[in-house]
This record gives sequence, C-alpha cells and structure tokens, in this order.
Amino acid sequence: MDIFLQQLINGLVSGSIYAIVALGYTLVYGILRLINFAHGEIVMLGAMIALSVIGLLTDSGLPGLLIVSLGLLCAIPCCMLIGYLIERIAYRPLRHAPSLTPLITAIGVSIVLQNLAMMIWGKEFISFPPLIDVQYFSISEATINSVQIFIVIVSTLMMTGLNYLVNKTKLGNAMRATAQNAEVAGLMGVNANTIISLTFVIGSALAAVAGMMVTMNYNVAHYDMGFMLGLKAFTAAVLGGIGNLRGAMFGGILLGIIESMGAGYLGTLTNGMFGSNYQDVFAFFTLIGVLIFKPSGLLGKAGGERP
Amino acid sequence: MKLLDVHNLKVHYGGVNAVKGIDFHLNAGEIVALVGANGAGKSSTLRAICKLAPHSGKLFFDGKDLAAVKSHDLVRLGIALVPEGRGIFSDSSVEENLLMGAYIHNDAKIKTDLEKIYTLFPRLKERNQQAAGTLSGGEQQMLALGRALMSRPKLLLLDEPSMGLAPLIVKAIFDVLKQIAADGMTIFLVEQNAGLALELSMRGYVMESGNIVLTDSAPALLQNPQIRAAYLGQ
Ligand SMILES: Nc1ncnc2c1ncn2[C@@H]1O[C@H](COP(=O)(O)OP(=O)(O)OP(=O)(O)O)[C@@H](O)[C@H]1O
Ligand SMILES: [Mg+2]
Repeated sequence: MDIFLQQLINGLVSGSIYAIVALGYTLVYGILRLINFAHGEIVMLGAMIALSVIGLLTDSGLPGLLIVSLGLLCAIPCCMLIGYLIERIAYRPLRHAPSLTPLITAIGVSIVLQNLAMMIWGKEFISFPPLIDVQYFSISEATINSVQIFIVIVSTLMMTGLNYLVNKTKLGNAMRATAQNAEVAGLMGVNANTIISLTFVIGSALAAVAGMMVTMNYNVAHYDMGFMLGLKAFTAAVLGGIGNLRGAMFGGILLGIIESMGAGYLGTLTNGMFGSNYQDVFAFFTLIGVLIFKPSGLLGKAGGERP
Repeated sequence: MKLLDVHNLKVHYGGVNAVKGIDFHLNAGEIVALVGANGAGKSSTLRAICKLAPHSGKLFFDGKDLAAVKSHDLVRLGIALVPEGRGIFSDSSVEENLLMGAYIHNDAKIKTDLEKIYTLFPRLKERNQQAAGTLSGGEQQMLALGRALMSRPKLLLLDEPSMGLAPLIVKAIFDVLKQIAADGMTIFLVEQNAGLALELSMRGYVMESGNIVLTDSAPALLQNPQIRAAYLGQ
C-alpha cells in the first residue's frame, strides 16, 4: 500500500499546528529580536487548562462539543494573560540588556512554567476524554478524521486572520513599523510597550488554540509536551525565515510534511534499521541544514537580521 | 508667542557632554535654523526635544512643560521630527509609511492629507505601493517629510534634510519647505549646509561643540564674516 497520501495528510495536520506555534515565535522575534523559548510552555498550559475545564464539565451532561469549546474558551484568555505577564515581569525589565540575558531568562521562564505545571497537573499523562464523535473519511487509500479536518481548517482561518491583521489594518501597520524602527514609530505616536504586549497576547492566544489541537490530535497532554513542540515550531520559524509571518506558516507546514514523510519512509530506506521513532531527528536535521545553507530561512531576506 | 522654549538644555551620554546648557526659542510661524559642524550637538538637541536622548533642562511647548511627556505623546501635542537618516520603514510600502504619519488621527481628513502629500511629491504617488526601502535617497527624504506632515504638526523639526542629496533634489525639498512655511508652519531646521538653511530661515543659531555661540537674524548671519569663513567657505 502506498503511504504517500496518508503521510502527506498527517504531515499537513501536524504542520498546521507547528505553523500556528511558529507564528508566536516569529511575531515576538520580529519586534523584540527575542527568541521566546517559553512559548512552547504556553501551548502546554493551553492544553492543560482546557483539559481541566473539560474534566470538570465531563459529567455535566452538556453536549461534548460544547464542553470542548468551553475548555478552549477558558484556555485562550488564561494563556493571553500568562503571555502578557511573562513579558511584563520577565522580559520588559531586560529590554535594554545584552541579548543573551533575555534569552537565558526565556529558558528560565520555560523551566519555571514546566515545573509549575508538573506541580499542578502531576507527572502523569492526562488523556482527552472521548467527548467528540470522531468521523473517519477515506480518500483513495488514506484516511482523514474530523478532528484532523478541524485542525487544518481552524489553523488556516487563524493564519488568514493574522495575515490580514498584520498586513491590512492600521494596527498591523503600527506593529510592522515598530518591528522595523520602534523609535521612529514612537514619534508617530505608537506606544511600543502596548504593541509589544499585544504581540505576546496574540501569540499566546494562538498557542492556546494550538495546545487544544495537539491534545485533540494525540488524545493526551503532559507537562513537558511544550518542550519538543516548542523546539519544532522554532525550527519551523527558522526554516521559513524568523521574523517573517508567511515564512512561519510555510515553514510549519513544510516541517510537518518533511517529518511525516521521513517517518513514513525511513524504515523502507534503511532496510528497517531505523523506524519511525526517529521522526524527531528530521526536524533537527532540517534545522541544522537551514542554519548551514540558508541561515536567513527559505522566505527570509539574504543577510538575515536587519540592523 | 513662543511655541518652543528651551532653557539650559544639556545632553550627556555617559561621560560625553554633547550639549552643554543651551537656551533658545522658536516663535510660532518662524523658520529657525540651527547650524554647526559635525559633532556640534545639533542632532542631540533635536533628540532631546523628542525625549530620545538623556537630557536635563527645561522644555516648554505651547506653554506646556514637557518634563513629564513621553516621546510617543509628543506628536499628539503637535511636534513632528524628520530624523537624521530619515528613519523610514523600509519594508512597508510608501503609502503605509505615510499612513503611519497619520497614526494619531482617525478621520476622513487623512485621505485629503494623503492627496496633498502626493501633490507636493508626485514621485511618491507613482511609487505608493512600492516598498519604501527601494526608493532613492531623495525620494526617501520626501517620504520622511511627507510622513511627518501627515501628523498635522504645529512644529516641524528637521534633521539635515539635505544630507547626501543631489542639488536638484535638495532644491525640490526646500521648495516644499518654503510652501509649508508660507502656510504658517513653525520649522526648526538643523543643517550642516548653513547657506541653504539660512536662506530659508528668518533667524539662526550657530552651535559649536555643545554650545550656542552666536544667534542673529538669518540675513545678518549670512553677512557675518566669521560665519562666511567657517560655514560658507568664503
Ligand atoms: N548615542 C550616543 N552615545 C554617545 N555619544 C554620542 C551619542 N550620540 C551622539 N554622541 C556624541 O555627541 C556629540 C554630538 O553629536 P550629534 O549627533 O548631536 O552631532 P551633530 O551636530 O548632529 O553632528 P552631525 O552634523 O555630524 O550630524 C558627538 O561628539 C557624538 O559623538
Ligand atoms: Mg546630526
């Protein structure tokens, strides 16, 4: 049986999630030149908060889809608040520090959030209760289920929405101006702090939805799920050209597909020596490859970072 | 009436005293030049007015003490700066740059203002969808000036608008400045090109290593033998 189509579908689904998370990295990087390593943890918190709400409501007798939606609707504002607070408390005081300082702080924030989550939700895997009646559809030899379709559609909508916000609205114009030259944007009346807070809040809202999607896709959540996902999404952002929105979307989907194709064909190619459990390796080979051959990313400008 | 009144302004970067306690003012409707050699402290003075450089001293705009005003609120009071090096948003389009100038406004007049800028600088209109970074230096200077005007300022601060530009382009830009001035705008013009600046201005201040060393009417400065020797190469 040919697995190509199936791997393509799987790649598209996980790639859509990477893309949404990668947008969070790229938005913040675009404005602050900061790699917010804690972003993956926001995804995890989104999943955990949503699951907690869902857990509380499971026996309420409400329809399953409504319970899931309520979980998501609680996770989004919570994550927005957490994202806002992280910037306010951890990063803002370091705004003018050498760039290594906020980077190390970001790693610190990530560790703190992970441990906090472990204390609140424990070390066990938390499973997504079977609230939704999942439908399966077959396309020639491959299958796709309703959750996967939902993930792809919601991601596409969010990407389109964000693209519109950033490229077509007055607020987006101010965000881009601030990213290019915060001092001059300030002279036009833009309060850079407001824009920066907003960037974190938007990125965190996307992360909350991504967290929900990951849990729905794999049926579990875990306190350290944000780590690997964060690294991959960061890889996707670098792959597309960090700081570039379309790059993050493109990089996310491409990475999802590379990974899934790699996992699908690795066994055949190596005569069974390596199995699909080597899937994660592909993401990081891709990252290394990009860093060596096109450090500015596929859609990034040559020369990389602007002065 | 004094639109901008500056007392004992000092700018200090760590150990460097770039501006050493200067006093000057601009009356409403005046064009005033600030001339001086490289490193005299002209840009530092403008940046201090805009709260972009560490400074001390008293600044009053329209009678209001600027001590507590933040950089991003100055434009709401009516102060616009065309910064040294133009500071355009190179990845944004020409029109987006101009619209950023009107960021504090939210009315239908933005459209007519935009048309006005395009009439002043037809080249910007032809290139309005182009990334601003692809413009020539002269066009970028026009864009920076147009963008500042979009905020409908009472006071326009210009930092070396002639820098690095061909004489023909400089003339085009100064012609526009003349038009704007005729409409009653107050302009503070910082220039190394003293002759050019003083020809447009009513009064001038001469700055040397952080101090204002001379002030007079522009025609008098143009006749001053010291100025002619030091800044006009005559
Ligand atoms: N950010 C800074 N940090 C340290 N020193 C600075 C800084 N900006 C300016 N200076 C110093 O302050 C002095 C005045 O500089 P300023 O830019 O105000 O001069 P200027 O008159 O605008 O010169 P030019 O005509 O070359 O633009 C210079 O000696 C400069 O080296
Ligand atoms: Mg200067």
